[in-house]
Amino acid sequence: MTTPAQTLGGMGHSVKRKEDPRFLRGKGRYIDDIKLPGMIYMDIVRSPYAHAMITKIDASKALALPGVLAVITGKDLDAAGLAWMPTLMSDKQMVLPVDRVVYQAQEVAAVIATERYIAADAIQLVEVEYDPLPPVVDPFKALQPDSPLVRTDREQKTNHIWHWEAGDAAQTDAAFASAEVVVKEDLYIPRIHVCSIETCGCVASFDKVEGKLTIYMTTQAPHAIRTVYSLVTGIPENKIRVVSPDIGGGFGGKVPVYPGYVIASVASIQTGLPVKWIEDRSENIQADSFARDYHITAELAADKDGTMKALRVKTLADHGAFDAAANPSKFPAGLFSVVTGSYNLQAAHVEVDGVYTNKPSGGVAYRCSFRVTEAVHTIERMVDVLAQKLQVDPADLRMKNFIQPESFPYKSPTGWEYDSGNYPAALQKAMAKIGYADLRREQAEKRARGELMGIGISTFTEIVGAGPSHTFDILGIKMFDSCEIRVHPTGSAIVRIGVQTQGQGHETTFAQIVAEELGLPVENITVEHGDTDTAPYGLGTYASRSTPTAGAATAVAARKIREKGKNIAAHLLEANPDDIEWSDYKFQVKGAPGRSVTMKDIAFAAYTNFPQGMEGGLEAVDYYDPPNLTFPFGAYICVVDIDRGTGAVKIRRFLAVDDCGNIINPMIVEGQIHGGLTMGMAPALLEAITYDENGNMQQGTMMEYLLPTAMETPVWETDKTVTPSPHHPLGAKGVGESATVGAPPAIANAVVDALAHVGVTHIDIPMTPWKVYQLLEEHGLAEV
Amino acid sequence: MSDVKQQVTLTINGQPVTAEIEPRLLLVHFIREVANLTGTHIGCDTTSCGACAVLVNGVPAKSCTMFAVQADGAEIRTVEGLEQGGVLHPVQEGFFQEHGLQCGFCTPGMMMTAVAFLEQHPNPTDGEIRQAISGNLCRCTGYVNIVKSIQYAAGKMREQQAAPAMATASTEATR
Amino acid sequence: MALHFEGTQQIKAPQEKVWQFVLDPNKVAECAPGFKSMEILADDHFKPTLAVGIGAVKATFTFDVQLEDVQPQTHAAMRGRGNAAGSAVDLKAAMDLKPVSESETTMDWTADVNVSGTIASVGARLLEGTARKLTAQFFDCFRQKLEAPEEARISEVQTPETPGT
Repeated sequence: MTTPAQTLGGMGHSVKRKEDPRFLRGKGRYIDDIKLPGMIYMDIVRSPYAHAMITKIDASKALALPGVLAVITGKDLDAAGLAWMPTLMSDKQMVLPVDRVVYQAQEVAAVIATERYIAADAIQLVEVEYDPLPPVVDPFKALQPDSPLVRTDREQKTNHIWHWEAGDAAQTDAAFASAEVVVKEDLYIPRIHVCSIETCGCVASFDKVEGKLTIYMTTQAPHAIRTVYSLVTGIPENKIRVVSPDIGGGFGGKVPVYPGYVIASVASIQTGLPVKWIEDRSENIQADSFARDYHITAELAADKDGTMKALRVKTLADHGAFDAAANPSKFPAGLFSVVTGSYNLQAAHVEVDGVYTNKPSGGVAYRCSFRVTEAVHTIERMVDVLAQKLQVDPADLRMKNFIQPESFPYKSPTGWEYDSGNYPAALQKAMAKIGYADLRREQAEKRARGELMGIGISTFTEIVGAGPSHTFDILGIKMFDSCEIRVHPTGSAIVRIGVQTQGQGHETTFAQIVAEELGLPVENITVEHGDTDTAPYGLGTYASRSTPTAGAATAVAARKIREKGKNIAAHLLEANPDDIEWSDYKFQVKGAPGRSVTMKDIAFAAYTNFPQGMEGGLEAVDYYDPPNLTFPFGAYICVVDIDRGTGAVKIRRFLAVDDCGNIINPMIVEGQIHGGLTMGMAPALLEAITYDENGNMQQGTMMEYLLPTAMETPVWETDKTVTPSPHHPLGAKGVGESATVGAPPAIANAVVDALAHVGVTHIDIPMTPWKVYQLLEEHGLAEV
Repeated sequence: MSDVKQQVTLTINGQPVTAEIEPRLLLVHFIREVANLTGTHIGCDTTSCGACAVLVNGVPAKSCTMFAVQADGAEIRTVEGLEQGGVLHPVQEGFFQEHGLQCGFCTPGMMMTAVAFLEQHPNPTDGEIRQAISGNLCRCTGYVNIVKSIQYAAGKMREQQAAPAMATASTEATR
Repeated sequence: MALHFEGTQQIKAPQEKVWQFVLDPNKVAECAPGFKSMEILADDHFKPTLAVGIGAVKATFTFDVQLEDVQPQTHAAMRGRGNAAGSAVDLKAAMDLKPVSESETTMDWTADVNVSGTIASVGARLLEGTARKLTAQFFDCFRQKLEAPEEARISEVQTPETPGT
């Protein structure tokens, strides 16, 4: 027998997804599916050089091709003041260059044509002459006085962008001075590219009669884009409509404003026709926003008994040619200062320096939670380095140093207040489930036989839900989020939110929140988002913020409806509102449960039978300013076997125990973990973007840049603990990026663990077979 | 840049589609733009991702790496042809039940590959499934639930094979 | 990608003859890999069009080549830039001739090739090997042509493209 709760499909139920029916039938509406009458196509001419002056652009042959309508260059945009645009980090970025290119594959000119294939032909006919300049691709060299200058437009003639610090240097120095053991490592976390299966694109459509620009765009943050567009173009915001259609994966790669969107908008405004621009995969990999590229030096100070005391981290952040990382404005290095992790350290000092190089811009576009991937990789590797130095088990060292459950809320040395956590419980659960002691025994036996088996642990604390208005803004817009609920007379509802799904299942999970709060069945609740004309203002979906912010707004808006509902219930039940309670998904008279009405009854009454003096209708809006971030966490254990003949690392088992507080839909959460683990394994074993000395990217297509297939991906094992957030209305935390954050160090720690007995203390990711094999050779372990 | 057009007829999901096209028009563009079936997607430019997979005369093919003229006279099955008489194909049902999709972009190609595979291998191991879909990239799901979805479908298709009298309008299993 | 190659050819031909050959753009063009056509702007300035392929990527490059530092009989250098859609090649080459005897000459050559764009990105792993081979073929072709008896020159067959290039 199904309980009322199961019928409703509220919190905690694995409701099947409401978005699936259209996707399963091939009826999704992705950007390239959008066809508008009269639509024309845009393609982009790109620079082969990483750094060059443009001496001439001759578009005559392209313009002579039948079907070509226009060729747009930087000079054309400059005349309209649009050759440059602001980035989300208050830097500026070229839309099209007037005279200089600063990264390979940079947009140089755009062709507008009647057909897609004609536009593709025409870009080959645009003749561009360049005078190559020496590029700078090494961020360390970029800081030398004799380095080529990437940004001649800036006042300060240096490639150094900013310096940022967190923590207390003096306290940290003192802790290091008195520490008995110090370990130090250099870590490089390479540049990677998120490569969602759908690339980026837009259809820009300017209506000359209405003076209104509608732009369908693969964007994770439609409202913020609309505001930026208005500020840059001068078109009033009510005359701009940004629509996110179905998005084929975002992961942060669809947050930035790419030049293609702006050029297509300009082309539409000029022609009055809808302009479609869909980038190729090679354009996507070569020019769009990257992630990571942090050169880190980390030091961890401890006592001989294993008590960790302090952490010192210095980082050089390679940002490419523009600072266009989509971080909250006060955090140019994102939330990297959460690097003290799950441990009770006395002191910490973190420094990051951002630097320009002749590469595409970005920094946080790969499911990284605003640089938490970099932070967790650092601390989890250093904990293992310390364990190795002290010759103690890495699980024991972690248990000894965890922030204890009774210490929450916990103020970290870098100023974060962790809301809740129980790290020992998660690690103990993981160790018991995977049989940690047995694995160590097996490892010892195998090691004696010369077989290389490794066990790696990662106990991470994530930090999501940006964020409280006192600290978090993007270009000045505070990072609240929103929900608007309207209940119809016959008991169904429409919910509009300010966040934007790209596969996370918001149409289901947000309906579930309302189902739980209002006692209406989840199938009767429609969730809409992504259209700035109708959705309430929000900051979008990235950095796992949707449940912490918009999820809270949804609960609060629903509770406002319940508050009004209580008064209608009192009217219907002829009781005092103070005597009405919400229980078992009904409004009941206290002490007389037989006298009750459902939300469905209330909905009808809100339009047909409400008390005199009360406003009719049943709706509410909430703009939620979170009081804090939320801190999901996890304990991951990875078992690897290394092939001595090839250096190949095989993940034999991987167990992820995650805690994201109260769970809306367990099936969806598990899916997020599976996907996140795969996007954690990829940088650990397979993916890196590298550049040669000329600034050529060496992984320009999916032939060189290898995404994991079903063959490389292990069978992920998952489990959970539940430690609710004390400040979130649903006790929920975010979870979308936890696995991408936690997995890479678990895998790296496993590989190092497999080789620790020959003195290996650190390996940078990706741990490709060649890299591992060279290490085996170096240590006499390679089999020929 | 070709102005010599050619007339082709492709039968897509049982419906003939005739058009005059450039010889260089990719099959995926024929399906999406000429036949207006946008369920088949484009995810890369090097035949690497499989989002464009359709069945050409019963065999999975990456439609971005074929010209439409090469498919002249062929029978093409796309995701839009899986549902029959209002009943989802067991593969579609499996993906729904086992949460085998998140953003949905790789899903049509993944399902078409699975359909062809299961028609040849009605009782696969998980390892065989993983090998069969190794030409289809997914960034969202981590593949675990996709394998479960395909096993679900395999079970359902075996059931339908075993009891054809009970089969509904969905005749996929009796091929 | 920045590539540097160098080599030496022992050519059984007098220095004068080698020098004349090297300065003749039409002769040199016959040896250029994937040669399609050429515009001659001046004695020392030419624009050859070459079809070059690396792995899956083939492109037609229009080169702008300038001879420089010409020291009669002994030394010549060349600087060129080639563009194709999305790719660019910058190259510098130099050649020195020394007589070994009346009928034999040593040619020492160096080439610096900088490749940018699609061809460098997509073909990166194959680039060095292919470029080295094409460069060596180019200079070896000089030797072959110079050593061939006069009459046989007319029926000489171009070095065929190796499959898979």
